[in-house]
Amino acid sequence: MAISAAETEQLREAVRDLLADRCTEADVRRVMASGSGYDPELWKQLAELGLPGLLIATEYGGVGLGAEELEAVSEEIGAALLPSPFLSSSVLTATLIDAAGSEEDKCRLLPGLADGSSIGTVAISSTWTPESVAVQANGTLTGTASYVTFGQLADVILVVARTDDGIGVFEVSPDASGFTRTAAEVFDPTVRLSHFAFADTPARRVGTAGWEAVQKALDLSVIALAGEQAGGARKIFETTVEYLKTRVQFGRAIGSFQAMKHLAADRLLDVESATSAARHAAADGSPGAIALAGFACAEAYETVALSAIQMHGGIGFTWEHPAHLYLRRARSGAQLFGGSRLHRERYLVSKGA
Amino acid sequence: MTTTLPTADQLREEIRAWLAAEWTGLAPAEDRWSTTPERVAWLEKVVAAGYAVPTWPVEWSGRGYPAELADVIAAEFEAANAPGARQDKYSIPANTVLAFGTEKLKNDLLHDVLTERSRTCLFYSEPGAGSDLAGVRTTAVRDGDRWIVNGQKVWTSGAKTADYALLIARTDWDVPKHKGLSYFVVPMHQPGVDIRPLVQITGEAHFNEVFLTDVEIPADYLVGEEGKGWRVLQTALAYERSIMGDGARASRHGSIADDLVELARDRGRLADPVIRDNLATVLALRELNALNNARAKAAAEQGTSSSVMSLGKLAMSGILHAEGRLRTDIAGPETLLAGDENPVADDVNFLALNAFFTSIGGGTDQIQRTIIAERVLGLPKEPEIDRDLPFRAVRRS
Repeated sequence: MAISAAETEQLREAVRDLLADRCTEADVRRVMASGSGYDPELWKQLAELGLPGLLIATEYGGVGLGAEELEAVSEEIGAALLPSPFLSSSVLTATLIDAAGSEEDKCRLLPGLADGSSIGTVAISSTWTPESVAVQANGTLTGTASYVTFGQLADVILVVARTDDGIGVFEVSPDASGFTRTAAEVFDPTVRLSHFAFADTPARRVGTAGWEAVQKALDLSVIALAGEQAGGARKIFETTVEYLKTRVQFGRAIGSFQAMKHLAADRLLDVESATSAARHAAADGSPGAIALAGFACAEAYETVALSAIQMHGGIGFTWEHPAHLYLRRARSGAQLFGGSRLHRERYLVSKGA
Repeated sequence: MTTTLPTADQLREEIRAWLAAEWTGLAPAEDRWSTTPERVAWLEKVVAAGYAVPTWPVEWSGRGYPAELADVIAAEFEAANAPGARQDKYSIPANTVLAFGTEKLKNDLLHDVLTERSRTCLFYSEPGAGSDLAGVRTTAVRDGDRWIVNGQKVWTSGAKTADYALLIARTDWDVPKHKGLSYFVVPMHQPGVDIRPLVQITGEAHFNEVFLTDVEIPADYLVGEEGKGWRVLQTALAYERSIMGDGARASRHGSIADDLVELARDRGRLADPVIRDNLATVLALRELNALNNARAKAAAEQGTSSSVMSLGKLAMSGILHAEGRLRTDIAGPETLLAGDENPVADDVNFLALNAFFTSIGGGTDQIQRTIIAERVLGLPKEPEIDRDLPFRAVRRS
């Protein structure tokens, strides 16, 4: 389904308004300290806006929108530091089921993800993780996977595992024998991670697709993450510019010093470039455009968040100030789905290098 | 005049028919500062037809058109690759003189400037007034019906072929710096104008320094009021900024050095992980700048302003310097060499040095950052300790 730019803007504003009300800094800190890492009440309200089903086709109970709308709401999610399984469940898992699953898989799994009543995750053993999960001769899974996003919450569990003839996508029941999941202690408490272990765990294959389906799901996840990064970078940058106008030292607003002005001008370029890259990836959808967003947005966000702390000075070094929450989100996002090294290499290949 | 305006379609038909009948192409001039008799003859036709300055009044070769209609003319000329249309959008001397000049100056100058019978150059920067342009010290003193000018100007391109210069000069040293400036048109062909080429770090000489000794200017050639030169200059600079390109230049020899991927492949460095990492960085900077510009353009077309617009020049500086370093890394010790026998090394070295053309010219990166911070981000201005002092009392180097 295609909607107009004005309708996309309305959706963006609806998400922004809800998050301004229900995902304040105090809310983020409360959820950071919680066991689950998300706010079930807010998740329901996001579901009323259609967010969990944003990418899921209408026949499976979703809204059936695409990458550009995803990118737009992701900017708002990143700006608010929303701690939620949206990226993990509504983007990565939903897209993987859509790309790999049979009609039966989709009918069974997607409606729950679309209305937010179930939460999905994907354990991927890939080039950027040292472990792997493999299929045994009897069809069970054995192995480990780390950095599984919001893995403790998930009741729809997909595993990307090695088979004798390449990569396959498998579904594991949360109470399957030999399956254990352990919550990891995380650097960024707004993005929860789990360690999954499988020992002769029964699993069923989802469709027949291989790595290309996983890549498709990763591509959309990178677009969403890039949007989050562009939105987060802009938000902490705006907070910083505001501080430069109000903080007075030596009898002057510190923003009147060229040292601050020049840092700010350079960071504005980073913020705008990240926004351009994320939106271009969503609109264009080519491997090169997605790879560019994959590293340009991650690196810009980290640079902007680091500068924000430096420009705030002492107050920015305190736990009480929100600047480090953005830096944590920037640093966690920079490692998910492959990281800059992988995206840079893909980008070079797209340029014939 | 009470004639009704044509529709865009009617105008388009008119221009196409006119170009089809008149335009047969022109041999290129030697450089952008030169012209040819054939080119002047062509421009005479463009001016006579009213296409050179369509938004101007009819008495000054215009048609009194709104900008949208004038742009139709420009688009057709551009499609035919024919020069001379829509100079009301980009000609610094013509627009400045039309807006602020005396009747005498308009009569003397406008037609000849539009037809390139007369060429102009800019007397703005000085050795002591670069970033701080309002600090110029070249002085004009009134003497009856003329002004007498003494001083030195620098970074003047096209001075050797110019018939007139647009001059910003100090006419009052006893008021604060912005208030003591006046704007003039200077006839170039007189004894006190001494032009010397200024050789850049690349070895090229695109610019000149010009020494002015008792140079005479007719009183009618004061543009705008005495002491109001800064305002006239702002108008002129706005035209200059609107035509500034992206600053990127091809290399001298057009060697393989222009294409970063091919250069790395050709030199066997494409598998080097450090080179690959830098290559990704530089290609991304270029693409991001293009994406930013496209987004700014789209925002401008929708009538919304975008902060992206003002970032392009600063971004291009960074790109050109980063490219310069990367090319040098790829070419390695070959960059120890120079000259026509070593075209790749020569191009790599040239491009690395020429990056300063963009990071210094037209406002240094540092000035650009300050402008972005103050005008886009709204940060408070730096205190200006010389702003309210009589210029005579301002410290100088």
